[in-house]
Amino acid sequence: MLEKLSHILFSTRLLLPELVFAGVFLIIVTIVAFTKKSYHSHNLYNTLTISILITIGFVFYVFLSFLEQYFDSGVVLFHNLIYLDKLSIFFKLIITVSAIAVILHLWIIGYKVVGEFYAIFLALILGLFVMSMTTHFLMLYVALEMVSICSYILVAINKSKSNSEAGIKYLLTGATSSAVMLYGISLLYGMTGTLNFGSQEFATFLGQNPSWVANVAAFMTIGGLLFKLSAAPFHSWTPDVYEATPTPIVAFLSIAPKVGVIIVMVRFLSGLSIDFRLILSIVIIGSLFIGNLSALWQNNTKRMLGYSTIAHAGFMLVGLLALSQFGVQSAIFYVTTYLFITLSAFLLVDLLALKTESYELESLKGLGQENIFLGLSAVVIMIALVGFPPTVGFTGKLLIFTALWDSYQDSGNQLLLIILIISLLNTAISVFYYLRIPFYMIFKDPKGGARRYSLDIPKRVFLLIFIVLLVYLFIKPDLIMDMIEML
Amino acid sequence: MNNILLSTLIFLPIIAAALVLLLPNAYKDSFKWISILVSIINLLNIFTLYNTFNRSLSTFQFLEQYEWIRMGLGNLGIISINYILGVDGINLSMVLLSGIVFLVGAVASFNIEHRPKAYHSLFLLLSGTVIGCFVALDFFLFFIFFEFMLLPMYFLIGIWGGERREYSAIKFFIYTFVGSIFILIVMIGLAMSVNDTFFSQELGTVVHTFDFRFLGDFKNYISGSLLSPDSIQLIFGIPARMFAFILLLIGFGIKLPTVPLHTWLPDAHVEAPTPVSVILAGVLLKIGAYGFIRIAYGFFPDMAFECTYVVAGAGVLSIIYGAFNALAQEDLKKMIAYSSVSHMGFVLLGLSSMTAEGVNGAIYQMFGHGILSAMLFLIAGVIYDRTHNRLIDNFRGLSSRMPLYTVAVTVGFFGALGLPSLPGFVGEFFTLMGGFQSKVLPDWVPMLATLGLVLSAGYFLWTLQKMFFGKFWVNRNHENHMKDLDIREMVMLYGLAALAVIFGIFPNLIFDISGETVKLFLQKF
Repeated sequence: MLEKLSHILFSTRLLLPELVFAGVFLIIVTIVAFTKKSYHSHNLYNTLTISILITIGFVFYVFLSFLEQYFDSGVVLFHNLIYLDKLSIFFKLIITVSAIAVILHLWIIGYKVVGEFYAIFLALILGLFVMSMTTHFLMLYVALEMVSICSYILVAINKSKSNSEAGIKYLLTGATSSAVMLYGISLLYGMTGTLNFGSQEFATFLGQNPSWVANVAAFMTIGGLLFKLSAAPFHSWTPDVYEATPTPIVAFLSIAPKVGVIIVMVRFLSGLSIDFRLILSIVIIGSLFIGNLSALWQNNTKRMLGYSTIAHAGFMLVGLLALSQFGVQSAIFYVTTYLFITLSAFLLVDLLALKTESYELESLKGLGQENIFLGLSAVVIMIALVGFPPTVGFTGKLLIFTALWDSYQDSGNQLLLIILIISLLNTAISVFYYLRIPFYMIFKDPKGGARRYSLDIPKRVFLLIFIVLLVYLFIKPDLIMDMIEML
Repeated sequence: MNNILLSTLIFLPIIAAALVLLLPNAYKDSFKWISILVSIINLLNIFTLYNTFNRSLSTFQFLEQYEWIRMGLGNLGIISINYILGVDGINLSMVLLSGIVFLVGAVASFNIEHRPKAYHSLFLLLSGTVIGCFVALDFFLFFIFFEFMLLPMYFLIGIWGGERREYSAIKFFIYTFVGSIFILIVMIGLAMSVNDTFFSQELGTVVHTFDFRFLGDFKNYISGSLLSPDSIQLIFGIPARMFAFILLLIGFGIKLPTVPLHTWLPDAHVEAPTPVSVILAGVLLKIGAYGFIRIAYGFFPDMAFECTYVVAGAGVLSIIYGAFNALAQEDLKKMIAYSSVSHMGFVLLGLSSMTAEGVNGAIYQMFGHGILSAMLFLIAGVIYDRTHNRLIDNFRGLSSRMPLYTVAVTVGFFGALGLPSLPGFVGEFFTLMGGFQSKVLPDWVPMLATLGLVLSAGYFLWTLQKMFFGKFWVNRNHENHMKDLDIREMVMLYGLAALAVIFGIFPNLIFDISGETVKLFLQKF
């Protein structure tokens, strides 16, 4: 008894950042509940949220840089429910970074949201934190539902008709995929007798089952994850939600849950003792083609980016398909850099919409001529999405393809080569639609003659930071890679 | 001082591009002067390079090497990417050519009125990346320049081009991008198969490298890797090295361009503004040929040997198909574009012969065609500037009104069709001679290629006769616009004509620098 108690106390200490986080969540809820509902207090909420995020981010950074020896082999907390290692701290760090960027985006563009938003936002992040430090199905499911429910609310929080529609679509598909996942988990539990997918017995017992049964169960289990990743065949909610939801929220939903999913996938796949490559390949091929081919026909920039994230989900999984240490590292690198790219893409779309008040491609005509800085930024960000040098998008793609090639060289599995070729081909397809944004901005002449359009200093600096980051990380990818290698 | 010469060639234009971008629009008259000044400085630097280059050495000279990225790859060891520049006999002539053609292009850009700031910064950016592509000795660095050059080119065609500029700009982009994806696959494969034997001893682990000098030597390949010379693995039923070689053929074949991958070229040329056409034909196509020599042939000599017929066949097909197409064109610029396809075919023929004459001839043909095609596109630009029309049938008897122009056209056309003492002759003669002497090619291959010579005489002479002789007449009452060359055009056209004559009479200016390197290069086969 006493032993258990001391274990719990020990566990609690290591989760202190999360507990503080939960405390701030409660404080915000209290403030919201006891103050008059108003849109004017967003400065307060912004400051509060940013400060807690920066603090937490700093704590994670300290953990990672100075206390890393404590987490070298991973710490098991709360009797297997929580598994804390350097990888989870790294992922929590990048989730925090993206949250900071999103709040800054919200603030700088001048979105006015209700106080509840911040509470839900923090709860979502908390869910992601839990998700990135568990190898236990039960905990995973709880965290995933926490993330999902918060996301549904965030999508529907604006109460306009299109918001509610997107929210309902999101909820229905999300609930379905959760149910599928739960069923998959129950099957896996039946096969292995354990809920801890990081454990040795999970691997041993799973391998004793017929391969196709195990494959189907594993596929159903990752269903809920693929939904969050917006990978095929669980992608159908993406475009509608992306179109209807306020941009900063979309930016967050398009990256933070994916980061959480990738770490769970890494852990799940490395414990999987069956050959799961075929199913993963089908998911990859489906996501790449559905995402890229549908994006070709979009005339709304946010919808287009929605389809583009489906395709990028495919690319993230490519790194995992390699099933090697380097493959995992390259996938992590890809996710980390994709975070900056996608946040900057949504920021750009929002900055453009400030002027045009619409997200239609048509309305972008000539904007790049009116503001050269925006035009150049559009070029840099879009070629980063394509994966074109000299941006970090190229480095990320190069690394996952290298991992895939190496895995092919080792195993001689033709499937890997086919995936390599298909994903490269898809890069070429994606050029078409990504380049349409700079194309409309720069090549087309503005309607009714050119007017100067200038941004104020904070907006310009914020965008510039992203642009510089995209290029600088190309020149010095070791900055991130050295960190990942240490994990 | 020599040590940073090559970097200067790359970064001076890029810095100047940033400068042009930052200067306020009030200085817009100075942008073209910046372009010209930078191009002149670059050309002077290249002359220094050319003069101090030691012709008796076959190794890389003016080497610059800095460590750029060194990343651990988990279980794969380390990947090392270096910033390495250097010149040898193969790329020095290309650097010289770039210097000349970019200066001509800068002068030809003189009367760009539409958004000069964007134009000149893109032009300067392009000039830096093209030279970078030629002098880079690290596959990664080469690839970065190779890909990046698409962007300025895309915008130059897409904004300043003709009516269908948007279509041809995206077509150009997609074609070349697909080509570069093929090259990327091979690049990854090579890096994963090659070990930097020098550093790996020091670090005690496998160091994957992109360094050309390691890639070119079979000793450094990791045995058992997919692209090592002893590899017996199959990819889709084809030996792995053969698969990689075919990917390279397609990738660089698009850039070269070789029939049947050439269809982007006529569109891009017809829509591009004159200076951009000059750059495109004069330098950019040579990057494809350079890639063939340095990468496809340099790293896969065994496969090149097996594929002799494919390469020679593609060359001969380009020569003949390009020539027939040129014969059928009504648009002067399109005719010149197809003649480019035809003339670049000789490069492939010379290369596939695997003889000293053939390979030296191929390098010379690249250089000579660069000078002549720059001239030809300027010629097409001259009448387009005056009438906004390029149809051959719309002009008659121009020689009576434009004698200076006619002289330049005559030199250009005769140079291209292969009159002795002009560069076209030298390049074609040596590549054909290589073809006949080759032990790997049957005689009928170069014989077929000579048909291209006959055809090119046909379309050039026919055009010359139709447009310049007979009674003076221009369609749509443009007679009054047909003024003879102004000073700027004279400087460009006669300057190039003089160069053509000099290099045509003294081909040793090029053969001297390429000779030793080619000798070493041929030992691989």
